Amino acid sequence: MRYLPLVWAAILRKPTRAVLTLLSVMVAFTLFGLTIGLNATFDLMAEKARADRIYTWPRFGGSGVPVAVARQIEAIPGVKAVTAIGFIPGYVQDPKNQAFLIMVDQNAAKVFGDWNISPQMWNAVWKDRTGIVMTRAQAERWHKKVGDTFTMISKAVKRADGRTDWTFKVLAIAEDVPQNSNGFVFGNYDYIDKARPTADQGKVSEVDLLATDPSASADVAQRIDHKFANSATPMQTITEKLARSGNDFGGLDIKAITHGIALAGMFMVLFLTANGIAQSVRERFTEFATLKTLGFSDRAVTAMVVLESALPCILGAALGVGVAAVLARQIPKLMPPNFGIPLPTISPMVILWAAVSAFLVALLSAALPILRLRQMDIATALSGRA
Amino acid sequence: MLRQIFIVSAINLRSLKQRPWASLVVVVGMACVIGVLLSMLSLTEGMLAAYDKTGDPSRALVVSTGALGEGNSSIARDKARLIMDAPGIAKAPDGSPLADAGMNTGVPVYRLNGRQAYNNLRGFGPKGVMLRPEFHIVSGRMFRPGTRELIVGVAAKTQFKGMTVGDKVILPDGEWPIVGSYSTGDLLDGQLVGDTETVMKAVRKTAYNSVLVRLTSPAAFPAFKAALTTNPALAVEPYLQREWYKKIGADMFNFFKVLAYGIGIILAIGALFGCLNTMYAAVAARAREIATLRAIGYGAFPVAVSVILEAVILSVAGAAIGAGMAWALYDGADSAFGSNVFKLSVSPALFGLALIWAVTVALLGGLLPSIRAARRPVVEALRAT
Repeated sequence: MRYLPLVWAAILRKPTRAVLTLLSVMVAFTLFGLTIGLNATFDLMAEKARADRIYTWPRFGGSGVPVAVARQIEAIPGVKAVTAIGFIPGYVQDPKNQAFLIMVDQNAAKVFGDWNISPQMWNAVWKDRTGIVMTRAQAERWHKKVGDTFTMISKAVKRADGRTDWTFKVLAIAEDVPQNSNGFVFGNYDYIDKARPTADQGKVSEVDLLATDPSASADVAQRIDHKFANSATPMQTITEKLARSGNDFGGLDIKAITHGIALAGMFMVLFLTANGIAQSVRERFTEFATLKTLGFSDRAVTAMVVLESALPCILGAALGVGVAAVLARQIPKLMPPNFGIPLPTISPMVILWAAVSAFLVALLSAALPILRLRQMDIATALSGRA
Repeated sequence: MLRQIFIVSAINLRSLKQRPWASLVVVVGMACVIGVLLSMLSLTEGMLAAYDKTGDPSRALVVSTGALGEGNSSIARDKARLIMDAPGIAKAPDGSPLADAGMNTGVPVYRLNGRQAYNNLRGFGPKGVMLRPEFHIVSGRMFRPGTRELIVGVAAKTQFKGMTVGDKVILPDGEWPIVGSYSTGDLLDGQLVGDTETVMKAVRKTAYNSVLVRLTSPAAFPAFKAALTTNPALAVEPYLQREWYKKIGADMFNFFKVLAYGIGIILAIGALFGCLNTMYAAVAARAREIATLRAIGYGAFPVAVSVILEAVILSVAGAAIGAGMAWALYDGADSAFGSNVFKLSVSPALFGLALIWAVTVALLGGLLPSIRAARRPVVEALRAT
């Protein structure tokens, strides 16, 4: 640390270079934070995914399956709780603003017990049939607060009189869960069911359930698929753990893409800082010779060069990851919404990786100049002929 | 003046090899920017190319009003017959309208990496093949109408398991054998095809999803559209097939474009700082040379131009490397998004884009250093060591 003033003086000798290097490193680490942060989100989703939760839906789409399917699933051994769900896919005002409502029955409080919806909020929805609970992300997306009305158009789910508009009252706003960072809206299944034409009543879009034993949930999922395989309503079943494992976005391997981008940024700054530190050492070669003459050891000189190379890297990495954290919160405003890609999370792991990468870049950048300094012939260097 | 610019730039470029590492910063920086940008855009470019190939200019698709995709469009049987009677539809040799009511359904499949996904199963009616001259069987045979048989596009097997002739696909009423494979050269190559009526029975659909027609010419479209949209009993909209694919792909394209450009711009800002750094260093290294030139009568402008030119050459070289790498790695590679199977494309248009980016970054990164080079007092620079 006592070399810090010397190193600081060396950096400030070329302030333009110092500032430009810092900015460049910062930008590369902003990208690093966003991309590796996105991986962190996928990892978090996989980690938070519940082993005992299972989703099952009609294998071939269509207009849904009879609610009796949910009751049949309840009877399967190993099933703890089952909620029948009707989706309302549609839009708000313009087809571009796609919205999606999840209408559930009272068992949802059990099946989604970990989704930050309090018993009071659930009770409000069971009492007020037109009521909905939305998460903060959705409330921000639609600019809603508690007490507002929310109207959407759904061509897929029509009312008995043929109308396609559905109006709800926002009863509560819940916190988001990491595994669903774009948010969700829950409503009362009973309401849409009664409002629909008789022919559509009693139909559900999906059945979600909990297994009694989390370690046996894959078996339960298989039992459900098997039970309905040859029925009029074949089902497609998946455990939440499996659905959230890996990081696949419509078939694209997110991890490979984000790693590639982050690596490109690191490669770019590696050349920049390596060149900067090499230049700096070259310019002050005679000075280093003087330091060695004065009795500075090779280790001391090495430490000074590493410090000079590491300072902009570490500072730039810290600033860059900070900017990424701020930018990550702005993404919903900048991106076309509802594409199902989650937001980056700047987790401790991301910060750790950024620090490791910054150190690696600094060390690699300093390696060659250090080698030159160690092998320097002091007499030649002092004479300025090196 | 031009002569001066030429001479100063020539001297400058010859001195480049004295500062190879600093120059490499610009080259590597730009290679990274363009490599990443073009790799990401190869996805949208490839998808766009696949969409563009889909659709003869005189083919039109009729869907229900407001449908966001064929999947959520629904056309009842009686309406399909009405649509086929609309004016402007070309006639088959037997005098019947060249139109085919079609259906789509998602079929659960597994990607090659084992993940669950859906592929698209499309129904061909009696005119399905006649409407698509680009369609031909590559191996095996065509399905027989009325039987539980499917055929598969040649590209499906590059993304999904169980998509070759002899494999079986599970539908609600059991397993259907794949009896042949076909090629169309467009997005259909990633999908499955079966007989419309038979598949509809199996998946318990009563209404079609869309009606595909061949018009007598693209010019017949306005009249065709007017006939359909003014009929209150129909509630359908026709689209030229090409426009339709652009419409349903628009959100996805915009999303990926915003993503690619956003990341590209962030990286480019980093490269810009690197470029500024290098050019300032270059100007400092050339201080003596520049001052000498100025002393013997060369103007400030040619000196400034030579600095910018150096930045442009380094930047464009970097962009060429980045674009070359993106092309070598991804051009023509098999890819898929959702149920669309296509090939990535690093097209000439993307190379043009790379050139524009490279020159822009170089101009921004070379401008300030070039001003410093041109402004520096000659005497001071000559004295500097």
